[in-house]
Amino acid sequence: MDLLTVKDLSFTYPKTEHKTLDGISLRIRRGGFYLLCGYTGCGKTTLLRLLKPELAPFGALAGEIAYGEEFGAPPAPHEIGMVTQDPNEQIVTDKVWHELAFGLENMGLPQAEIRIRTGETAGYFGLTDKFNSPTAALSGGEKQLLSLAAAVITNPKLLLLDEPTSQLDPITAMTFLETLARINRDFGITVILAEHRLEEVFSMADTVLAMDGGRLIACDTPKAVCAALQDSRLFPGFPTAARLWKALGAKGEAPVNVREGKALMREACGEKTLLFAPPEKEKTDAPAVLAAKGLWFRFAKDGADVLKNLSITLRQGEVFSILGANGVGKTTLLQVLAGLRRPYHGKIKLNGRELSAYKRGALYKNGLALLPQDPKTVFLKDTVRADLADILITQGCKKEDAEKKAAEAAARMGVTDLLDRNPFDLSGGERQKCAMTKLLLTEPAVLLLDEPTKGLDAFSKRQFVSLLRTLSAEGRAVLAVTHDIEFAAAVSDTAAMLFDGELLAAGTPHAFFRGNTFYTTAAARMARAHVPGAISVEEIAEAIAKAIAKAQ
Amino acid sequence: MKAFGKLHPVTLLVYFVMMLAFSMFLRNPVTAGLSLLGSIAFCCTLTDKREKLEDLKFYLPLSALIVLTNPLVSHNGRTPLFFVNGNAFTLEAIWYGVFIAGMIAAVLLWSKAYSKIFTSDKFLYLFGRILPKTALILSVALRYVPLMKAQAARLKDAQKTLGLFSTGSIADNLIGTVKVYAALVAWSLENAVETGRHMKARGWNAGRRTAFSTFRFRFTDAVFLAVFAAAGTLLLLAAAKGTLYFGFYPAPTPLPTDPISVSAYALFGGLAFLPFFTETEESIRWTCLRSKI
Repeated sequence: MDLLTVKDLSFTYPKTEHKTLDGISLRIRRGGFYLLCGYTGCGKTTLLRLLKPELAPFGALAGEIAYGEEFGAPPAPHEIGMVTQDPNEQIVTDKVWHELAFGLENMGLPQAEIRIRTGETAGYFGLTDKFNSPTAALSGGEKQLLSLAAAVITNPKLLLLDEPTSQLDPITAMTFLETLARINRDFGITVILAEHRLEEVFSMADTVLAMDGGRLIACDTPKAVCAALQDSRLFPGFPTAARLWKALGAKGEAPVNVREGKALMREACGEKTLLFAPPEKEKTDAPAVLAAKGLWFRFAKDGADVLKNLSITLRQGEVFSILGANGVGKTTLLQVLAGLRRPYHGKIKLNGRELSAYKRGALYKNGLALLPQDPKTVFLKDTVRADLADILITQGCKKEDAEKKAAEAAARMGVTDLLDRNPFDLSGGERQKCAMTKLLLTEPAVLLLDEPTKGLDAFSKRQFVSLLRTLSAEGRAVLAVTHDIEFAAAVSDTAAMLFDGELLAAGTPHAFFRGNTFYTTAAARMARAHVPGAISVEEIAEAIAKAIAKAQ
Repeated sequence: MKAFGKLHPVTLLVYFVMMLAFSMFLRNPVTAGLSLLGSIAFCCTLTDKREKLEDLKFYLPLSALIVLTNPLVSHNGRTPLFFVNGNAFTLEAIWYGVFIAGMIAAVLLWSKAYSKIFTSDKFLYLFGRILPKTALILSVALRYVPLMKAQAARLKDAQKTLGLFSTGSIADNLIGTVKVYAALVAWSLENAVETGRHMKARGWNAGRRTAFSTFRFRFTDAVFLAVFAAAGTLLLLAAAKGTLYFGFYPAPTPLPTDPISVSAYALFGGLAFLPFFTETEESIRWTCLRSKI
């Protein structure tokens, strides 16, 4: 018998007709590393939660979940570990050591055993320095590692992870995923990982489970799933190498990482170097909307400088993206530009007038708008409709007009059917859209976005890119700070890197990404030797197609 | 971590209870003075420059106020200095005011040291044995405070750029604050429900549970506790026999100087300066050790 067998499982939430899970059957082998992928709302979370008895949602359940003989009947809490998206809601206690000990305390183990197990686990996860720290003092990545450590410490037979890295930056996310792979390898703990950022994780898994609309549409090795799903609507979210393989005609086995993608390029191009001319963009002389000169900022009098003589100009209709590592001051820069924090030196001008010259309210009406990293903080009311009306009323709109205007704005953004939902119950992508709807009600000339693609799946991300392009066509300027290189490459007119308090290498995305080794797209890394200058799968495919046409 | 704070919570609790009780109930200027000096010395090792200055700004006026108010309300005493509204302002009342001021300052300073040394985890450890569930709930609550503070700051920032708090008027600020706090409450309830589910998912309430702690009862703790017990018993005996008694009214009684009282002073002085000596000894030893690195 397998570790876990799911037979013909269907699930419907109360008060809905629609089946969230529809006839799912699968077998989980012992020691496997399973990747569960699919767009938001496809039923990933519901499936994972149903596998963990204490977190199982209420609703109509049909079918069967059978656990292997190593589990108790029903499985005890410590036999199945779970880590979810939000680092803050799953940490229970105030100290790191207590968080590690919590599961063991609940099992009623003796003090001496808890002492040694917390010690060795802290060592394995690199949390020794933090052992006595308050949990509130940890970074997001450390919190997720702690949650993972607290799940592993009870020696579970199965680990379930529901988008554990969606709130982390790519580098921290890789550390987390590598630790997870190590646990799977070192202890043989079976892992089921739900993720939508597939670029790196695809080649880590030995089995990929793909879901769409509550159904399991594929369950096989990563390469086989690429071949099977190359025409499905999930494919645009698959790793760049696989998308390149499809664009080049899907011959042979699908590559799933950059190394294999490079081999594919060599096969397609031989020793030749193909020419690729990046699209020429006319130099715009659109007027500058937001201009900052010589900004210096630090948090405390005797602290270190976060911004050092930083200057930036944002023109009308420009999409500007700023990349940079964690803690380099990206969020701080946005807050300074938004007037929330004051630089101790330097000037910021909006439409030629200094920020301080604006009366307090005027700055945020037809002026600046900031989308914070956590879009939940944008909402104050318990329905989206009330929230949108509320901001209009704050701006001095009459109550009846406000409701009408709110409905119109929602229709424009395509969120009409979300109006009566609670902002907390929305998915990441939906919440993002509603937050943008609210922001746009202030008619901003400049949109400042803090990590706007955090937690979005590939589908929502593409929608978001086209929304930003529309806004820029309307003449609004957009400044996004992001870790998401693929997003920056797709959306920007100008890209730059923030490092040591300064902006480095501001230029067109093509100029910016072709020069970089680390801060560049997966496609650019694969293309480097054969199609230098290309930064997306489409550009590589186009260059190769041109070369073939020329040869004939 | 401070050297004295490294002792076991039980040892620390016994010490602080003893010091507070003796400072409050021994009516003797010598013990009161020793207690005050000991608490000042201890607090000096615990605070930085700025905090010391702030403490001075608080304790000096407070003490002066007490010293001056006592003769205004108490007209006992044999040596009138002058008369206010027909009431005597006596020397004895001033001395008693000084004594009370010193006692109050000492009690406040010992409490301050207690709150610095007796951190939440020590409290939880001690009371977790008696009330394990209450202790865990306290731990969860303690985690919520910084979490909510951070979320409140984020909410406020986000709402500022959406036009809340924009006119700067009091009414607008008030409305904005109410809205932000309502949203904060909704958020924390949401968060708390999810945390509760996660607690259950990790086996909370599944049966008998252990209360784990990182504290260890060491040999030093046993020595300290033995000393405390001996000194405490002797002081109690001395106090019970009335040898330490000192009266202020109508005229100060002679200061007890019999052998029992003198040894009680010495004992109490030793107790009062114990944390200070422990800290100083540790920092000297650390300087020596560090010079070898």
